[in-house]
Amino acid sequence: MSADIDTLWRERPRSRVLRVAVLLAVVLVACAWLFGGFEGADLLSHRRLANLERFLHEIVPQSLRGHFELSGLFSWAWHRLTERGFVAAMRTFAISLCAIVLAAAIAGPLAVNAARNLATAEPFLPVPGTPARERVWSVIATATGLFLVLLRAIPEYVWAFLLLAILGPTSWPAILALAIHNSGILGKLGAETIEDIDEGPLRALRSLGAGRASLAVFAVFPMVLSRFLLFFFYRWESCVREATVLGMLGGSSLGWWITDARFRFRYDEMLFLILLGGVIVLVGDFVSFITRGLVRRAS
Amino acid sequence: MSSNARFELVDAGVRFDAVDALENVSIRITEAAPVALVGPSGAGKTTLLRLLNGTIRPTDGTVWINGRKLSDYVGPELRALRAAIAFIHQDNSLVPNLRVSQNVIAGRLGRMSLLASLRAMFRTPRRELERVHAILERVGIPEKLFERTDRLSGGQQQRVAVARALYQDPVALLADEPVSSVDPARARDLVELLTRIAREEQLTLVMSLHNLELAREYFSRLIGMRGGRIVFDKPPGKVDDALVRELYSLTRGELADG
Amino acid sequence: MAERTRRPAWIGTRGRVLLLAVLAAFWALWFLGIGPSDLVPNAGGLRIAKRFFAAAFHPAFFTENGDALLPILLTAVWRTVAFATAAVSVAFVAGIVLAFFGSTAWWSPERAGGETSARGPWLFRARVTTYVTVRAVTAFLRSIHELFWAVIFLAAFGLNNLTAVIAITIPFTGTFAKVFSEIIDETPRDSAEALLDAGATPLAAFAFGLVPRALPDVLAYTMYRFECGMRSSAVLGFFGYDTLGLYIRQSFDETQYAEVWSSLYALLMLVLVFEAASRVVRRRLVA
Repeated sequence: MSADIDTLWRERPRSRVLRVAVLLAVVLVACAWLFGGFEGADLLSHRRLANLERFLHEIVPQSLRGHFELSGLFSWAWHRLTERGFVAAMRTFAISLCAIVLAAAIAGPLAVNAARNLATAEPFLPVPGTPARERVWSVIATATGLFLVLLRAIPEYVWAFLLLAILGPTSWPAILALAIHNSGILGKLGAETIEDIDEGPLRALRSLGAGRASLAVFAVFPMVLSRFLLFFFYRWESCVREATVLGMLGGSSLGWWITDARFRFRYDEMLFLILLGGVIVLVGDFVSFITRGLVRRAS
Repeated sequence: MSSNARFELVDAGVRFDAVDALENVSIRITEAAPVALVGPSGAGKTTLLRLLNGTIRPTDGTVWINGRKLSDYVGPELRALRAAIAFIHQDNSLVPNLRVSQNVIAGRLGRMSLLASLRAMFRTPRRELERVHAILERVGIPEKLFERTDRLSGGQQQRVAVARALYQDPVALLADEPVSSVDPARARDLVELLTRIAREEQLTLVMSLHNLELAREYFSRLIGMRGGRIVFDKPPGKVDDALVRELYSLTRGELADG
Repeated sequence: MAERTRRPAWIGTRGRVLLLAVLAAFWALWFLGIGPSDLVPNAGGLRIAKRFFAAAFHPAFFTENGDALLPILLTAVWRTVAFATAAVSVAFVAGIVLAFFGSTAWWSPERAGGETSARGPWLFRARVTTYVTVRAVTAFLRSIHELFWAVIFLAAFGLNNLTAVIAITIPFTGTFAKVFSEIIDETPRDSAEALLDAGATPLAAFAFGLVPRALPDVLAYTMYRFECGMRSSAVLGFFGYDTLGLYIRQSFDETQYAEVWSSLYALLMLVLVFEAASRVVRRRLVA
């Protein structure tokens, strides 16, 4: 009986891929910490600590240094808010809204052409089309998939930086940057959702003669709408978050005023605006949470 | 007052919110012979079994297990009680991406310290493996020792659940409709297996099932339940078709609900 | 009697939500004071665009000084990966701990009579307080973008690689905590409950009954987060750290567009290689 166990152990199912992956991960973490160029000790040097001390001193609003009182803090904060904080916050929301809607508009047609069950010569029919047409569609599907990967591979900040040089300091670079990156993500999620749908009713419709376009609009779209909306709002949260920092590149939204405060060494203002950015993100999370609950209940 | 039976319920009742899942149940189960719980869905069979396992507490009446009141068991003693009573669920409740050996060993987690559990699950000592292998042989699937559990068929997975229950070294075996999700041929094998093992290991076996034919064939005591109450408690010979029809008959109200 | 399934209308609440979103976007454009005409670049912008996109076809392999670009970019790539790895390694562990306390998996009030400790209501209240506090803390951690944390640390400490990693780690911890606790809450609990029925402690039931089932999703998300971490790490270069972003910005400011494309291609390849690798691993995880 012992021999049995040994044989069974040797022949047990195991995954080489997973073992290699785990090993690589461990090695990578070790190398990163050892060879990443981290000088933690330097943080404790005299120069750094002096810097830190000055910073902590400067994040207290000027009027409150020396004698701190809560009402003074509130009035200072209110001033910052009405001065430009509130408008900047609204602009951030506006940018995120434009970006996500644009992203969805771009992602829609891309997802349809990347979904393996829809992007074939004869979708949902048991008999495939001619080999030539099948090959063409296979290329289309793969190319679209690759294109989606490319769209989301570049960070939004980089897109925004490049577009800023070309388009100038309006809000468009931020919107387009967010839209491009997120269309890649929404496109991929959309394609996966389309690939997961129940093919039964679609096969029936196809056998009745429905064409590809009408199938997509009248059958596939309602079926994936719920999940797509959930992804939509989930990514909107992320857009809000990114929009707060993209302002740093230009266009008078929150990030811009943060950079402005930083260059003026007004760290108190800078910290306040950063915290305001955090509040904006939390508000966006909340709105998205409520809306997603609405969508779930409607499905 | 105490009890020298394995399980004894005196006027026990369980209420969930406004629903009486169990009402006025008084039975006595000794070690002797396997007991079958029969009755329509929602009759309270699962609730009764969970009472016997110490998983839920009665809202009315008293429950005695192994001679002690259930309410007297607290903390580690309650855990020890649960470890001594094995429970087989309807949907086997195994961990799908663990190996069969690990799922079986999990049965004894109640008796091991955390450190010992880690060792047992990830660097199983030879002796444990041999025990697991022996138990798997008893349930008929020794060659699946290191297979991933989700690669097995439904019937095989149920056997793994049985093996896990046996690995617990229990004094009693409770099975909640273990054959409902298994095809009829396998169902008979499974019931035969469980009753045989219960006999060989002298375990108190209480099993709920829908299939009356199997119940009459393999069990020496049938308890019929309906609407949270005990309708009859007789050996199979005394359970005639009329009694069965009465047990499963639908009143007008029940028919309307479908 | 068969249940009549509610088939959602083609337009309905969901359609209205979608419509509302589109209308909000148009309002936003009005509020920002921009329109499609602003998309047309001026003469200067057009010139830059032409030169920039033309350079896409011949990325540079040497800087204008004649130095080889490859070793520089390789160091930048390594630093990008190293920052991300260091940050994610810490955030992962911290996130798991926070997720545990921010989920409901380790205390379930429904298991009546399953209370294997005699401390009762006090313990329950303590658990709820912990749960709420942890959730609030992780929400706060998540809300401030890693670039903002970097800006704060730059002002406080100056340029230092460790603070860059910490800047990424903080919001990532919050994100891991939120997602992991959601995964834990959504994982089927039947196997953990079966272990409790067999007499295991709640901790053991969680560790051996729930964690293995949640593990594939946890690992898949961690890989996705790592990819995001690499992107964040690259962007930190724009602020002066020695990652790919630094070279993108520097080369662009010096109008060396070919060099910019070299850095961009390096970043692209990094992401694509990781995408492909993670796809392979993810397939094995689910199998």
